[in-house]
Amino acid sequence: MTSPDVPVSAHGVSAHDVAVPETYTIPVGPLHVALEEPMYFKIDVRGETVTSVDINAGHVHRGIEYLATHRSMIQTVVLTERICSLCSASHPEAFAMAAEAIAELEVPSRAKYLRVIAGEVKRLASNLFNVAILAHLTGFETLFMHVMQVREIAQDIKEAVFGNRMDLGAICIGGVRYDLDAEIMMELTKRLDEIAPLVDEIIETYRTNGTILRRTRGVGVLTRDQAIACGVVGPVARASGVVYDVRHAAPYAAYPDLEVAARGLSDGDVWSRAMIRLYEARDAIDIVRQALAKLPAGEIHGDERPDVPPGETIAKVEAPRGELIYYLKTNDGPNPERVKWRVPTFMNWDALRFMLAEAKVADIAIVVNSIDPCISCTER
Amino acid sequence: MNVLGLFVRNLMRGPVTDPYPFGPTKTAKRFRGRIEFDAASCEGCKLCERVCPSGAIKFSKDPGGLAFDCWHATCVFCGTCAFYCPTGSIRQTDDWSLAHVASEKFALVEHGLIPNQTCAECGATALDTAPMEGGVKPPLTPEEIATLRPLCPKCRAKFMKARKAKK
Ligand code: SF4
Ligand code: SF4
Repeated sequence: MTSPDVPVSAHGVSAHDVAVPETYTIPVGPLHVALEEPMYFKIDVRGETVTSVDINAGHVHRGIEYLATHRSMIQTVVLTERICSLCSASHPEAFAMAAEAIAELEVPSRAKYLRVIAGEVKRLASNLFNVAILAHLTGFETLFMHVMQVREIAQDIKEAVFGNRMDLGAICIGGVRYDLDAEIMMELTKRLDEIAPLVDEIIETYRTNGTILRRTRGVGVLTRDQAIACGVVGPVARASGVVYDVRHAAPYAAYPDLEVAARGLSDGDVWSRAMIRLYEARDAIDIVRQALAKLPAGEIHGDERPDVPPGETIAKVEAPRGELIYYLKTNDGPNPERVKWRVPTFMNWDALRFMLAEAKVADIAIVVNSIDPCISCTER
Repeated sequence: MNVLGLFVRNLMRGPVTDPYPFGPTKTAKRFRGRIEFDAASCEGCKLCERVCPSGAIKFSKDPGGLAFDCWHATCVFCGTCAFYCPTGSIRQTDDWSLAHVASEKFALVEHGLIPNQTCAECGATALDTAPMEGGVKPPLTPEEIATLRPLCPKCRAKFMKARKAKK
């Protein structure tokens, strides 16, 4: 920077140019900030410390909301499942719930339980994945590999029960598309018994391991007031003491009949968010076990291709990352007139401004990962 | 449990990965893989084509009848077609080994043909589809299905009308 009152040399270099500017701007992203997802931050740093954060969105916008208006209701169920692979049970469920509300369809009670099972298995795998990445970002590859290996059991469950590792294809409008028979229930129970003690072990490790604690305690703090101001949801909110969970606040599917533990911590740091995810992964196992024990007999869906009359509504579910809201408007045609979803990451990434304030450059990736960002559903 | 303990335990257990493609690997019984089509039991309702979200299924007119094609490289393995197919003519096998070189991309197709036949009643040329059974009350008997099969749609409709009047 050259100011007019400073003498300038023949090469255009002024005496003051050598002075280091107050802050320095570094681009973080758009690739590989934490996950292989494009998130782009312009971060001002003073030395090693972050002074301000600017989030630049829109790198993976694919126009899915537009696509949905050019697909039939049945096709849109599949499309919503592919918005995000980690919440791929929550998206079609919320969409189907909205369609069912408009069509005034009653979902058979067996289907409600089967929806819970699909959702909780996904939560188990998704939360383990996030805490595994945390270990990876702290450079603790042994733990990363171990957690991923444990998560592999959840992946095997998905493959055995639903036939796919990510997109379960479990939901249809008016019910579910998969059923459990005695053999597959045995397999599911066996695998849950296998994974439960391993998750307990992982919880203990994250609770006590020095490497994890040193990198995550007191890092990326979001206070309760800030959490409320940003309107954060899911584990991010619950780790800051805002115990809000759609499964409690507006129970859907079979949740009214099941016991779901209310998890909350008050420190609001990276560690608390990881612990909430781990506890909820463990709770997910219990919820699936409860659902299996109470699973009623009967139909798994109503009319295969129900008519959805004109109308508009919203529906919400608790995705692994938090509250997921769907807005659906239908008309006389076969396609939805408008589908819009508000995903948890949309609320949560705003809080990064608070979490990253005064953070160290080396902690940026860990803090970003701690909101479990899902860019593909935020930018759809 | 401390991490060192985990480390030692995992080390003793040996690798958890499968040596595929050099050795065997496991496939879940319910795995939803490559699409398989059975022309003989298909009703020709084209529902699968209509519900397929990725446009992988195409029915087209063929000199020999009605051709069915499912492009494996376009298919997203969602299973929607198999779920809505009224006859179970389309199903997902547990075959997931679909890796291929780019030059084979257009050959990765499940092809089927519903052939033409000559109507046993009026002699018109029509497709040899399976008779539609859905929603028929009382359900068609095997004999009735055998009678309906060689007929054209018009003669099938006539038969069904007469059947309704009788019952
Ligand atoms: S019977 Fe099944 S396979 Fe045949 S056209 Fe209908 S949906 Fe497709
Ligand atoms: S599995 Fe899905 S994408 Fe593939 S052909 Fe069937 S409906 Fe289409």
